[in-house]
Amino acid sequence: MEGVAIIGAGQTRYGDFPTKGVKELFAEAYLEMLQSVDRGLDPQMIQAAYIGCLSAGSGFQLGQLAPLLMGHVGLPHVNAVRVENACASGGFALYNAACAVASGKFDLVLAAGVEKMRDISSSKGRYWLGVSGDTEYERLAGSTFAGIYALMATRYMHEYGLKREHLSMVAVKNHRNAAANPKAQFRKAITLEQAMNGVPVAYPFNIWDCSPTTDGAAVVLLCNARRARDFTSRPVYLRGFGAASDYLAIHDRSSITRLNATRKAAAEAYKQAGIGPRDIDFAEVHDCFTIAEILAYADLGFCEEGRAHYLLEEGITQLDGKLPVNASGGLKAKGHPIGATGCGMAYEIFRQLRGEAAEPVRQIKNARFALSHNVGGSGGTAAVFIYQRGDE
Amino acid sequence: MGAHISIPMYQRAVPQRYRLVGQRCLKCGKVNFPPKAVCKYCNAGFEFEEVTLSGRGTVYSYTIIAGGGAPPEFAEQAHCQGSYPVVVVELEEGPRVIAQLVDPPPAGITIGMPVRAVFRKIYEEEGVIRYGFKFRPA
Repeated sequence: MEGVAIIGAGQTRYGDFPTKGVKELFAEAYLEMLQSVDRGLDPQMIQAAYIGCLSAGSGFQLGQLAPLLMGHVGLPHVNAVRVENACASGGFALYNAACAVASGKFDLVLAAGVEKMRDISSSKGRYWLGVSGDTEYERLAGSTFAGIYALMATRYMHEYGLKREHLSMVAVKNHRNAAANPKAQFRKAITLEQAMNGVPVAYPFNIWDCSPTTDGAAVVLLCNARRARDFTSRPVYLRGFGAASDYLAIHDRSSITRLNATRKAAAEAYKQAGIGPRDIDFAEVHDCFTIAEILAYADLGFCEEGRAHYLLEEGITQLDGKLPVNASGGLKAKGHPIGATGCGMAYEIFRQLRGEAAEPVRQIKNARFALSHNVGGSGGTAAVFIYQRGDE
Repeated sequence: MGAHISIPMYQRAVPQRYRLVGQRCLKCGKVNFPPKAVCKYCNAGFEFEEVTLSGRGTVYSYTIIAGGGAPPEFAEQAHCQGSYPVVVVELEEGPRVIAQLVDPPPAGITIGMPVRAVFRKIYEEEGVIRYGFKFRPA
């Protein structure tokens, strides 16, 4: 298997952009990616593109989104395909791009994601957001994703003594981080009191437990590791990548206080990288709802099952803690443009490991290894990546 | 639109929605609900006998869906009731199912609480009332 390096990355600011469509968002991230390849690159060398997007199927463009976007940035003949696994679409685009480079078939492959959610009315948005779950049974119980993750949270509280306050600690931490991230949707810190008293959505969640709807795009360029230094002095290596699935429906799973897809994907990624959870210096994890970050701590091996809330109490996952999680602000506050999210995490880690985190207050120092974790729906799919700083 | 469940799609699951018809795997003996092509417990058995579930079980987890968390086809219910509970129930035959809870106890829902399935209106779409199961405290 060939080694895989990231040699460039770009991302739009996440947020609400009425004047930009999906093509404009994609192009903005793509052009920033090109700029970041510090030794220069002829874009015509790019051989393939995997582009994550969910709403292409129910929003504006039914099929062939990937060639539409590539044609917009002057690469009309690249082997391009859209990848869809709900909120993990970007992660699976990155995974497939990594496999394409690792196979030796291609040397330069684009992994990207884009979503235009703010164009869709909230009633229509709730129609299609819920359909990445188990439509026939979960949906007919009157539940969207908030309700499904809420069921996980209630069970977790029952089994492990998690308190409402712990959920809010995730929101407070991630909003604080996003306040310093110029690419985040909500650059605003919130207090614990605010976070605990938002408008109810689905018990135990209020509005502050839920990620927003977001416009945005992210693009990363993968390269065969042997050629990476032709293009950049500071590549970031993708040392491990794993992906897995699980039953779509919450009632089909043996446990609802863990995501088996995450566990299997993480095991694959750690094994390939030859390192373990203790070696990870910081992580970007999938916090679509506050409980999701809490579940991820144990699923990724950062703590024992049922102990995640102690990591929050001890401040271990804060920006200045031993293992910062979601220094970007996470899905919760950086924003969650569904198809872009998995690639946006890779963008954040690329910048952090190169010492280029925007606003120095967010820069994590002396990090060697980082991890990103992207989940589809309520855990029907998951992808996990392990990154290594390239200057050693 | 997205989550629209067409009448034919609904119709095909009427045995499950009206009578809780599941399937017992002839290989491992466990009960699947809703039905699968291959048993979800042994991941091998593909021959089944039909079994009608009792509808008795206990609450495994719960949430209370507020107006902002309700899908649009349930917006009217959320508007009229303010909110409604959704539960995952562990049935006595083994499988878990998800549905709404009616007549929740005034003291609040608790995990482990015994419940039984009842036949109720789910919602109305395209002028057709969709019926199915919900649960109520036993």
